Amino acid sequence: MSVKSVSVHAKWIVGKVIGTKMQKTAKVRVTRLVLDQYLLKYYNKRKTYFAHDPLEQCTVGDVVLLKALAERRAKLVTHELAEIVYKVGNVIDPLTGKQVAGSLFRETLTDSMENPAGSLTEKLQELNISAATSEILQKPSEV
Amino acid sequence: MPMKGRYPIRRTLEYLQKGDIVFKNTVKIMTVNYNTHGELSDGARKFVFFNIPQIQYKNPWVQVMMFKNLTPAPFLKFYLDDGDQVLVDAEGKDHKDISQHVKKILGKSEEVLRAEELARMVHSNPANFGPKKYCLRECMCEVEGQVPCPGLIPLPNEMRGKYKSQMKGTEV
Repeated sequence: MSVKSVSVHAKWIVGKVIGTKMQKTAKVRVTRLVLDQYLLKYYNKRKTYFAHDPLEQCTVGDVVLLKALAERRAKLVTHELAEIVYKVGNVIDPLTGKQVAGSLFRETLTDSMENPAGSLTEKLQELNISAATSEILQKPSEV
Repeated sequence: MPMKGRYPIRRTLEYLQKGDIVFKNTVKIMTVNYNTHGELSDGARKFVFFNIPQIQYKNPWVQVMMFKNLTPAPFLKFYLDDGDQVLVDAEGKDHKDISQHVKKILGKSEEVLRAEELARMVHSNPANFGPKKYCLRECMCEVEGQVPCPGLIPLPNEMRGKYKSQMKGTEV
């Protein structure tokens, strides 16, 4: 009936995807630091949000940036997927742009694939030379 | 009896209130990526240990997230309201350098903070009486040197209207 304007307090949120069993929707867990009044220490407090993901590109474990929808899409879905920040298993270091795993760089397979092609052509040339030399050797033996 | 933990001073209100960094209104999310081992991440680790509680205390509406051991180099990332992202490299830097840098690029300046404080002082007049949320005092009985609350200590008879009307009735 009535259109709800700015459905949630939080416009931008970063969270981790915990479930993708719903169609075109990702269940995202968002942690915020909350101060314990007695200990005066910050602890993570979790909250789950549902985000609209039209292309179903999230997998469980991705770190995801969500944007608040202008209008609430469904009873629970209040945000939509803006960007996948870190894809699980395929983290890309924003400083260098390369693939990374923990504290090491992953070398992609494409680099190693190029060299064998180059060396193959060289090997073929070598084979031709060797074939030619062997023919020359054989002829005198035939005769 | 000393406080428990390493550097328990981090857990005092005075320490938290001493935080410098108040983010501009456009900053919504702050993300810190750092490693648990390694010398390069040392500054970032100290930043998380010492400065993050101060930042979160001063900016309660900014979401702060920490990620450990995802990338080889430590960095900070800020997500602003218009969709912009700010990347701050923290490799090899000292935690004081990081916090000063962040304050310079995304923190409110001293003048803005002073102006906001003045505006807040002007808005709330300490001479007003009202609910605790808006004013300092609710009733005159709370002030030292004034008549105490008749709910706790009965007023002397000269100040009670009931007694005065009774006296008037009996006299006349």
